[in-house]
Amino acid sequence: MDATFEKFTFAKRLKTMLKVDFKRMFTMPLIYVLLGVSLAMPILMLVMTGMMGGEPDPTTGAEAAAMFTNVWQSISSVSEASGSADAAMSMDLTTMCNMNLMYFMIAVLVCVFTAEDFRSGYAKNLFTVRSKKVDYVFSKTLVCFVGGAIMMLMFFIGAMIGGGIAGLPFTMEGFNAGGIVACLFSKIFLVAVFVSIFLAFAVVAKQRTWLSILLAIGVGAFMFMMIPMMTPLNATFIHVIMTLAGGAIFAVGIGAVSNLILNKTSLV
Amino acid sequence: MNAIEIRDLKKNFGQKQALNGLNMTVPQGAIYGFIGENGSGKSTTEKIICGLILPSGGEVKLFGKDYKDADVRAKVGVLIEAPGCFPNYSVWNNMMLQAANLGIENAEEEVRKVLKVVHMEGSASNKFKNCSLGMKQRIGIAFALLGNPTLLILDEPINGLDADGMRIMREVLTDVTKSYNCTVVISSHILGELEKIATHYGIVRGGKMIAEMTAEELNANCRTYVALKAKDMTTAMAALERKYSRVETDEEDYIRIYAAVKAEEVVDYLYNEHRIAVTEIKTSKIGLEEYYIDLMREGR
Repeated sequence: MDATFEKFTFAKRLKTMLKVDFKRMFTMPLIYVLLGVSLAMPILMLVMTGMMGGEPDPTTGAEAAAMFTNVWQSISSVSEASGSADAAMSMDLTTMCNMNLMYFMIAVLVCVFTAEDFRSGYAKNLFTVRSKKVDYVFSKTLVCFVGGAIMMLMFFIGAMIGGGIAGLPFTMEGFNAGGIVACLFSKIFLVAVFVSIFLAFAVVAKQRTWLSILLAIGVGAFMFMMIPMMTPLNATFIHVIMTLAGGAIFAVGIGAVSNLILNKTSLV
Repeated sequence: MNAIEIRDLKKNFGQKQALNGLNMTVPQGAIYGFIGENGSGKSTTEKIICGLILPSGGEVKLFGKDYKDADVRAKVGVLIEAPGCFPNYSVWNNMMLQAANLGIENAEEEVRKVLKVVHMEGSASNKFKNCSLGMKQRIGIAFALLGNPTLLILDEPINGLDADGMRIMREVLTDVTKSYNCTVVISSHILGELEKIATHYGIVRGGKMIAEMTAEELNANCRTYVALKAKDMTTAMAALERKYSRVETDEEDYIRIYAAVKAEEVVDYLYNEHRIAVTEIKTSKIGLEEYYIDLMREGR
């Protein structure tokens, strides 16, 4: 008697894959560590730098200026186009030490999460019964995007709490509440761009977590400069659309590269 | 239709040629004993069938379809090297993840069923990292059995099992081939155990299949031999070598003829055609292990 095979549709394959990946991500201690760090980082950053402000500089004796003068600086900076010179973006410490740091944390999440699949042999089990690697890439991108987005939101909550504790003003100069919401959405959509790039490195490195993190952070550092331009505090609907489109294009384009890598390289 | 059909399979790892034009045919419903020395290409072949490594050349078909076909591959159960489990997850959770990957509807029931088959139902809550080698091997089998596979590929599944574990494995494999019309490819160095269950054999050496046969063929053609001593051993040897393809002298100075031939025929042949008197003659059988060792020795 000849064997017959049930049709395993893309929708069914993706549904099961997402179920497994979501379950795995949210039962992994690392995600909670990263979420905790995402929440604590802005609190510590704002409170500690606030405490240092006003103290005399040991070399000059002059009173040191506080690093953050406004809570929103910990989220992003204002685009120069706003005309507000004071709040305008410059390559100083506040431009670097803000929510954009989360993209490096997301690199750790994607790389560790993916490397664990290969190290444990789970990928071996998975790819034996699933020859279509696109399910894996699609699912990993989506799940890591959700994880990254939650980390971003945690940072935002942390910044609000930290700002409150540090007693920093919540005044909006050169932007408004709509701009902040658009900025936040832009940053979240930009996660898709980074996740797809990090995932491509993770599937190249497979079980070598150190290599994927090294590659991801290296390339992430190159792209770091463009984040403030794409996600300023005075972001508009255009920024949101641009980052959404960019996220989708990168997820599909780089996802196709990841798929190709998985199809053309040995998996064990 | 054959479950597996491989033609001219090649695989190079840099300069090293792991598979050198390997051909393999596994009929549906067979328990196929895949035998070969370490580094002969067994695991490489199995990994290619499972899509874990890419071949350098050749063709692999599963149930008449390309080996990459998603629907066919969803029904392949595999145990290659160690079972791929998350060490900090319980056995149950690891199994549930694989059940979800396979899209099994009644996952809990299915997992319970396969754990019972491998006698691991009492250890489901144990963390995988705390399981013994034998337990891990059984979990690997349970993984492979999830979702009623049509093809099972097991690489050294008996390693690490105690006598009871080996008996369970025999029962499981015999049962799945009968109940589910499942085809099993099993590679093992424990040939004595393999001999008890295999219906077909494939012997690989240096990345090439050197012999493929059914258990009956192995029994009839290869493993029966006639051993004799004659008055003139040198002339007898020369005469027998002319008539039979495999004639050898063993450690006890018997001439062994490996062929499905009766002792009387040999006596008649030597006496009637060469006037050589046979002083001692017996018909015997060699085990798979001895046959395999002989075959390997021939190639060196």
